[in-house]
Amino acid sequence: MNPLSPAEMERFQQLSNKYEPELPGPLVSHKQSTNAIAMDYANADPTFATKTTALAVTHPQSRIMKGDGNSVAFGYFEHLFNLRDPILVQRERARIKSLSTLLDQVGLDENTYEMFVEATEEAFDNILSAIERGERDDSFLLELFNDEYNSETILCHFRFLTSAYMKLNPHRYSAFLPMDMPIERYCSTQIDPVKTEIDGIGLQALVDGVIEGSGLVVEILYLDRSEGDVVTPHVLTQTRPGLGAIRLLYRPGHYDLLYRAESAVNMQPLVNLQYAISSDYAPWDTSHLSFDMNSSLMSIPNMMMDNSYALASPMSQPPSGPFRVSPAQPPPDHYRVSPSQPPPDHYRVSPSRPSPDHYRLSPSHAQPSPDPYRVSPPQEVYHAPVHTPPPPPPIASPQPQIRLSGPPPPMLGSLPRRTDDGPQIRLSKHVIESNLNHSLPLPVTAPFKNSPFNHAHYQNPDFEPMHWAPNESRK
Amino acid sequence: MGSQKRIAKELAELTESPPDGIIVELANESNLYEWKVFMDGPEDSPYHKGRFELKLTLPTEYPFKPPTVSFVTKIYHPNVTNDDKGSMCLGMLKADEWKPSSRLSAVLEFARSLLGEPMPDDAVEGRIAEQYREDRKRYEEIAREWTRKYAGGAASS
Repeated sequence: MNPLSPAEMERFQQLSNKYEPELPGPLVSHKQSTNAIAMDYANADPTFATKTTALAVTHPQSRIMKGDGNSVAFGYFEHLFNLRDPILVQRERARIKSLSTLLDQVGLDENTYEMFVEATEEAFDNILSAIERGERDDSFLLELFNDEYNSETILCHFRFLTSAYMKLNPHRYSAFLPMDMPIERYCSTQIDPVKTEIDGIGLQALVDGVIEGSGLVVEILYLDRSEGDVVTPHVLTQTRPGLGAIRLLYRPGHYDLLYRAESAVNMQPLVNLQYAISSDYAPWDTSHLSFDMNSSLMSIPNMMMDNSYALASPMSQPPSGPFRVSPAQPPPDHYRVSPSQPPPDHYRVSPSRPSPDHYRLSPSHAQPSPDPYRVSPPQEVYHAPVHTPPPPPPIASPQPQIRLSGPPPPMLGSLPRRTDDGPQIRLSKHVIESNLNHSLPLPVTAPFKNSPFNHAHYQNPDFEPMHWAPNESRK
Repeated sequence: MGSQKRIAKELAELTESPPDGIIVELANESNLYEWKVFMDGPEDSPYHKGRFELKLTLPTEYPFKPPTVSFVTKIYHPNVTNDDKGSMCLGMLKADEWKPSSRLSAVLEFARSLLGEPMPDDAVEGRIAEQYREDRKRYEEIAREWTRKYAGGAASS
């Protein structure tokens, strides 16, 4: 092969620099069945196949997003629309606008950022008037975010805010940046440029700086190779859930949006509001949960908190801020559902309910998941400089804290590690037993029974998932 | 459109309080996206006393895509192509490094500072960069001569 001349090399380099793969599909897709994601992984690594199949049950709907920032921003505006509370939208509009002071503080000129703020305000206004019109259809939002110029403008505003927030709160992030990169440089290479996708640190800063104040929860569900049958949830916000959760599905390198079973959009707004914060798996194993759920006990906060807290030794303090360590296995609190109350939407109406953000309190687990925070070594040795963790409250109740600045609140790390090797899903006594003894018979959950979507199949050592083979189906 | 407003504001600012040695005007009053820039060679550089004309072009996607800056006046410089395009290589103007928060005045000031301090490692003219590194005196001679010849400068030699 002839070596290329430097001029040719340069030309190729230029072409390569300019190359942008043509990705099919819109910036923000319509809601679609999460089965499509499961299908993508049907023949992939078994862990992925298992987890995506389970995911399609727990979170039947998803949106495929181009661009990570879109996921958060669209999710944010979509929730505001679905909550249908004009006052909330007004409040958020004012709050986001007031964040412009951050931009001033880092020396951005108003002329520079004005157009971005305006675009965001316009989005709020659109939502507001849609709510006032009584519009139920969110297609105007889809349109807004599928217009590249519009979505770029709003995202850019969010980028500015994220970048400013990081620069103004360096103590929260600097220790986690790869190779001791200064915050300034991180922002100018990873946050500010239009073409960059967000990484874990940036996402945490976006959530801290922009989203947190809204009261919305942001949860990432990690699809990774960590052990377990379900994706690993990790909540980025610290506020007590009250309004709903933006759920992101993380697949290595990308974030999409996820919606729980009986997604908020199709429901009565107020019911939504209650529902969206729950993390229940009731729709698919209702009948089998009932045995260990006592609805009167359930109304006692933390009643169902994992009592293993009392058993184990405290962990070393994990790093603060963004690295509130994702539990590699979803803690059981997740499944703390009282099925005895038929529509899951209502069950949270009682204010004394333990809220799902309990599971943020669950200590990190042994399985290191390949989540992006793990990449940089410094964080492994980093100990938050300022504070010492107070002893965990006897009953760990979630403390809603909005921390826009100042040292990060003591981390949850002083909580002991949980000691279970058992199943992560509290399906039923039978499931647990059969798992522990590695015995058959197959556990059967009510709505799914022998359906391939029945999660419980994976407890069966002999279970083989269905494989689609093209030649078979064409015979 | 928000971007037009922003361009108009940036232009107004640049014309009201122009940075040192930089004059900006629209190439054509009806088009906000083509700017004519006059840049004085900085002191202590071989371009001193030359006045260079540059063209700054804003893409319709501005500020999401970077502007392009090129020298209309011929210039002997490692970071400017030595052809009729006079394209300039500025890291901050590459599509993947461009930040929508960058201001055009900063772009132009950076371009001017590049005249005083070329960046041979980012050169588009490898030969000139090599000469700049290895035979600074000769490079300065030629640059000064070109400045006199093309940029109307009366270079002191």
